[in-house]
Amino acid sequence: MVHRIEREFSFVLNGKPVKVRAPPAYSLLEVLRYELRMTGTKEGCARGDCGECTVLIDGEPVHACLTAMTQVEGRRVTTIEGIDPGHPLVRAFVESGAVQCGHCTPGLIVASYALLSRNPRPTEEEVRDAIRGNLCRCTGYAKVVAAVLRAAGA
Amino acid sequence: MEVLLHDVDVLVPRDLDEALRVLAERRGIKVLAGGTDLLVQMRSGAVQKSDLLDVSGLWELKYVRHEDETIAIGALTTFSEIASSEVIRRHAPVLAEAAETVGSVQIMNKGTIGGNVVNASPAADSLPALYVHDAELKLASLKGTRTVGITEFYRGYKRLDMRPDELLVEVRLRAEKGGEVGHFFKHGLRQGDAISVVNGAVLLDLEGDLVRGAAIALGAVAPTVVRAHEAERALKGRRLREDVMWEAARAVLRSISPIDDVRGSAAYRRELSVNYVFMTLWRIAREVGVL
Repeated sequence: MVHRIEREFSFVLNGKPVKVRAPPAYSLLEVLRYELRMTGTKEGCARGDCGECTVLIDGEPVHACLTAMTQVEGRRVTTIEGIDPGHPLVRAFVESGAVQCGHCTPGLIVASYALLSRNPRPTEEEVRDAIRGNLCRCTGYAKVVAAVLRAAGA
Repeated sequence: MEVLLHDVDVLVPRDLDEALRVLAERRGIKVLAGGTDLLVQMRSGAVQKSDLLDVSGLWELKYVRHEDETIAIGALTTFSEIASSEVIRRHAPVLAEAAETVGSVQIMNKGTIGGNVVNASPAADSLPALYVHDAELKLASLKGTRTVGITEFYRGYKRLDMRPDELLVEVRLRAEKGGEVGHFFKHGLRQGDAISVVNGAVLLDLEGDLVRGAAIALGAVAPTVVRAHEAERALKGRRLREDVMWEAARAVLRSISPIDDVRGSAAYRRELSVNYVFMTLWRIAREVGVL
């Protein structure tokens, strides 16, 4: 017999308060994509290796796939949908050709966004360090790093 | 085949006292801290599905304190917090180095030192640093608190000196003394975010080039992290010269018993262990200017 446990969770998603009923051991990734239909956050490995599902919780990058819903209660969550498409970082990704298949792009932008929020003028090494947990199998990272540096005005 | 966790309940205690009460009353419940390993293992079926006690919000267990000669770290302190802690960078830099290499920024922001200790992976990156710093673990339950030395805590592969009603609340380590210098090393298959093929820590107490004391610990080469006592003996009371370093590095083979697995063969791990211990000794010798 399958039974499902559900609880109500309240948190702030991209600046707006949301309430959602979900099993408490479900991940934020599952709830974003399948309950809230916010599909900007991608599922890659679902085990903390690829960084595709990177979101910000209270401004810090974490894997949505490794975050249980109980760990979201009362917190501030930022996903790719919460970053303005006109943001210099997003424009720099487009203009630098840092996007190919696009699957890793939301995670890379969210991770870079967190870096620029606390360090607006990072060095190339700091950029590479901030995105070391984000895998991209198309670009070879050179254009991604160039995009982040370009957004930082370097 | 992924295991769905729709029927797993997650209890969130208001404070430490409530967490200990739940652990005493609900046998079989598992403690969830950062979730970087437990959730993955439960979804893959490697760990039996069970209800969870999510302690990650217990802010009272997030701290780093410098108490006389001891560094006290709350069990829920994350690796990001450890890596950026001035106290740890100054008084236990080997642990700060380990924290920085534990995984990606995302993993460092969630993974906790307590989770790393209790998850008990032989490849856990914080453990060699804790072994060379003679760490003690403070375990709390409704019956009281007790302290266990890190080498006694691990009785075998994932076998711990810890009762189901106990919660790890604090990791205590000896602060580095004047004259001590050490480093953490790690060989992973990917620099940014990897499980160690071999890791370890070396902490030497030096007077010029004379080795007054040596502590060497290696991970992922035995069912638990091990201290390389033979290698330590090969160094103590001797001058830190290249031949002595090679002798000590080769002596680590007498303390390890690696296996073949997905990340590397036993032979590869033996070679890595010798070479990394040598390289770390050499690096220390260069830094203190005796080579």
